[in-house]
Amino acid sequence: MFSLALKNILFYKGRSLTTFLLTFVSTILFVVYVSMMDGSHKSMLENALNIYTGAIEIYKKGYRDIGGNEYYIDDVSSITKKLSRVDGVKSFSSRYETYGLLSTEEYASASMIAGIEPLKEREISSISKALVDGLFLDENSKNCLYMGDGLVKRLKIKLNDEVAFIGAANDDSFAADIFKLCGIFKTGSFEFDSTVSFITKTYFDELMLSNNKASYITLKIDNLENVDRVNKDITKLLNDEELESLTWKTLMKTMVEAMEVDSIFGYISLALFLIVIFFVIMIYGFINISSRIKEFGVLTSIGLSNSNIMKLIFYEIFILTSLAVIFATPIASYICYYYSLNPIVIDGISDMYKDYGIISDEIPFDFSLFTIGWNISLIYILNILSVIYPYFYIKSFTPIEAIRHV
Amino acid sequence: MFKLILKMAWKNSFLRLSRTLLVIIMIAVSMSMMLGIQGLYDGMAENMIDKSKRSDSGDISIFAKDYRIERDIKNIIKDASSIKKKIEILDGVEAVVLRLSADGLISTARKSSFSIIRGIELKDEEKFGRFSEFLKGGELNLSKRSAIIGIELAKTLKLRLGSKVIFSTQDSSGEINSIALRVRGIVQTTNISLDKNTIYVDKQILHKFLSVDETYATQISILSKNKELLSKLKQEYPSLDIKSFFELQPMMKMMQDMMIIFNSITFFIVMLVVFIGILGVMYVSILDRVREFGIMLGIGMEYKYIRTQIILESVIVSFIGYLLGAILGVAVLLYLNQYGLNLSSFADALESWGMETVLYAAIKVSYFSSTFFAIITAAILSVWIPLRKIKKLNPVEVIKAEK
Amino acid sequence: MIQLKNVNKYFYKDEPRELHTLKDINLTIKDGEFSLFSGPSGCGKTTLLNAIGALDTVDSGEIYLNNKEITTLSENERTQLRLQEIGFVFQAYNLIPVLSVEENIGFIMRLQGSSESEIKSRVFEIANLLEIDTKLQSLPSTLSGGQQQRVAVARAVASKPKIILADEPTANLDSKNSQKLIDMMRELNEKEGVSILFASHDELIAKNVKRVIKMEDGALL
Repeated sequence: MFSLALKNILFYKGRSLTTFLLTFVSTILFVVYVSMMDGSHKSMLENALNIYTGAIEIYKKGYRDIGGNEYYIDDVSSITKKLSRVDGVKSFSSRYETYGLLSTEEYASASMIAGIEPLKEREISSISKALVDGLFLDENSKNCLYMGDGLVKRLKIKLNDEVAFIGAANDDSFAADIFKLCGIFKTGSFEFDSTVSFITKTYFDELMLSNNKASYITLKIDNLENVDRVNKDITKLLNDEELESLTWKTLMKTMVEAMEVDSIFGYISLALFLIVIFFVIMIYGFINISSRIKEFGVLTSIGLSNSNIMKLIFYEIFILTSLAVIFATPIASYICYYYSLNPIVIDGISDMYKDYGIISDEIPFDFSLFTIGWNISLIYILNILSVIYPYFYIKSFTPIEAIRHV
Repeated sequence: MFKLILKMAWKNSFLRLSRTLLVIIMIAVSMSMMLGIQGLYDGMAENMIDKSKRSDSGDISIFAKDYRIERDIKNIIKDASSIKKKIEILDGVEAVVLRLSADGLISTARKSSFSIIRGIELKDEEKFGRFSEFLKGGELNLSKRSAIIGIELAKTLKLRLGSKVIFSTQDSSGEINSIALRVRGIVQTTNISLDKNTIYVDKQILHKFLSVDETYATQISILSKNKELLSKLKQEYPSLDIKSFFELQPMMKMMQDMMIIFNSITFFIVMLVVFIGILGVMYVSILDRVREFGIMLGIGMEYKYIRTQIILESVIVSFIGYLLGAILGVAVLLYLNQYGLNLSSFADALESWGMETVLYAAIKVSYFSSTFFAIITAAILSVWIPLRKIKKLNPVEVIKAEK
Repeated sequence: MIQLKNVNKYFYKDEPRELHTLKDINLTIKDGEFSLFSGPSGCGKTTLLNAIGALDTVDSGEIYLNNKEITTLSENERTQLRLQEIGFVFQAYNLIPVLSVEENIGFIMRLQGSSESEIKSRVFEIANLLEIDTKLQSLPSTLSGGQQQRVAVARAVASKPKIILADEPTANLDSKNSQKLIDMMRELNEKEGVSILFASHDELIAKNVKRVIKMEDGALL
């Protein structure tokens, strides 16, 4: 049956060519489109993740939902001692975040001030790399502020200018100080750059009475794929009802959901293309097979069973699909691979979508053999489904009816 | 003669019922899906633009000259009330509102955040943009020290109805001033910047708080379909910064344009594939009947009648497909227009994007008219090649020859 | 041996246009027969042939093919029967257009699972007999009507069936080719011992067969 199928494919060129071309085009379209979607989502997440949010963060329960001084972590050192024993944890750091008012003579603005451990922070996040002017912090930076460029613009200050700070200390008393602008950063995240400043935690702890306290502890792990396993280990190790250890999947839930919605819309559009192409492949298959009814009638008469006919029809579509896939897959894969390494740049797109968290003008593709694999499987499934109706159509004829068919 | 041709075309269209039905179903399913998607995307875009206009800038917004660069209370429109009165009576103006806004700090016992306080008149806002439709929880109450807050801001500060907040900012004399407010209502305008940052208070209260004259305003928003109004106002008030909706929100225009491009590409690709489908069926159908056409030519029928018959066959089948697709499409669009696509499991994400959790589709006549033209064009073009074959036929050879 | 006992068949049974196409057929066909069902158009000869060949069902009666009753067989069993024991030659469209003459002739043997060497030698043997050995690599579309029919006969006989059923095999041929075909089929009947049954109103076949079974209005005369 296989060789007969091959010969039929070569003989009925119209159907073969159309099916081949449609499958070829739909394969490339599908693979490239999914790759682009996945790639842009991944990059959005990674970019957002890299800026500030850790792969895992440890909080006191209640901090994220209610907030306030009662929910700061009280004994950071006891936790960090345990963390160094967890397999997969690369580094960790504590952060003390609070909100306050920063003001100059003329301007004032709210800001989130985060006391950080500069050395450790260099390893964990990329805020030090986002430096555009001045210096990043170190352990001796004292009252130096490392401020987002959006906030700097709002306050209309320059490097070495002084800024007054008013906020609430850890015991709810007033805290006030004069800070100096020592460094400016720009991550590209509009919201982050307009609301956040950093200061050395050792200095800040004195002001805020927050020694050995933290809003949370942020962690970097060796391999993001293991995040769930490592998180489990941490939770077990901490063994504290009052603490919760959360992965980025929870911390960036909104963004993850946003990716899902975007994917849904992407797949809906793809589904439309694939369905239309499916119908056309089915129609061409149907026409071809129905034009051979007499032939099938004769074949059944001389002893070809229904299962052989099914095999024949199946082989035909399988060969055509495989041919198209064999040509299309390397091309599509190469496109995905190339653009994963050399992302498409659309100037201005980050500006346009900054409110949605897009910080880069680059759209990298995602090159994943697994994804390409299931994409191709779906194409195969669709093509095979397309011959189901034609097969049942043929089956509905008795041999005599088939032979006599006009 | 034409009646006979039509009858032959009609009967021939359904000679191979399975084939014909497949084409009809293909057109119908493709069309209805495409219309549904188009309607949904257009609906989303229209909804966003509409809400943005109604909640904020209207069709036209007026600011003091440097206000958009430096959002400071000193950049204020001094004779806003009289300007409003003058604009209200102009041709085509539907509604005008005055607003007073200031940037500052909003704090709760536990958290603080950057915020914009906006003084509004509820009655005016209701007339302007049906403000009550934005209410997500609580009530529209701005009496005394009541405030209404944007939904994302409420999330950020973990505020509930009845929560107390303090808003601090510099007033018109440069002094830092604070006001305590109680949250009475939560709104979702789907205008991201408003929902993330804004707290609404009674305009008069804000004027007092900021020590700003009641005839002043930071923004005048106008709703009007009059296309000439913008240039007229620019001429009338050259010292003020007057911008149209799309000038203030170029991103919205870009998004709208991208939506149009995307819909057009989708449309083109789908119609192309539909064309290929019709082409295949018509080609085979005509080739099957080469002998029949040869005989018709042999007995004296003119080529033009055969051409008409063939074109009619293609058009009949495609048109039926279009009708079915239109019916399905209308059903899909009506459903999506009335009940929408419920994505409430993604509420967090959608709200942060400034979108509602239920997406409603738009319905436009152009969906159906453009699809009609495309399908009929595809139907006529698809028979061009087989027709050429028929034209070259030699009746005698065709009748003699075996298939 | 083929036996038919009280075989009846109706078209459009229980409808107003009901046709009694086979009326109480009782018939025995011995091994090695070279016979013809003849009669005017619509007399039921093709219907009878199809019933014997398990291509079509009957409404009542029994048909025995070498003592095996075939009217109660399932569709699959009938297909198997046709594959193993019965050969067919139709009026037209016998051959698979994409296969060469050699592949067409060997097709049934391949379905039966014969080895390649068996198939090759048998194909050459039969092709020789039917004088189409020079056309083995050609496609059916390049052959004349007469040659195509000979290929059809070759395919039917190559798999060594017990019986070959030929329905109007000469309808599309001129008299010269018709005679040639009939001669070759008679030779096959004698050499291979395969029974050959024709259904035709071709006088040429009637002149050449050993037995003519006349039919009229669905009944044997």
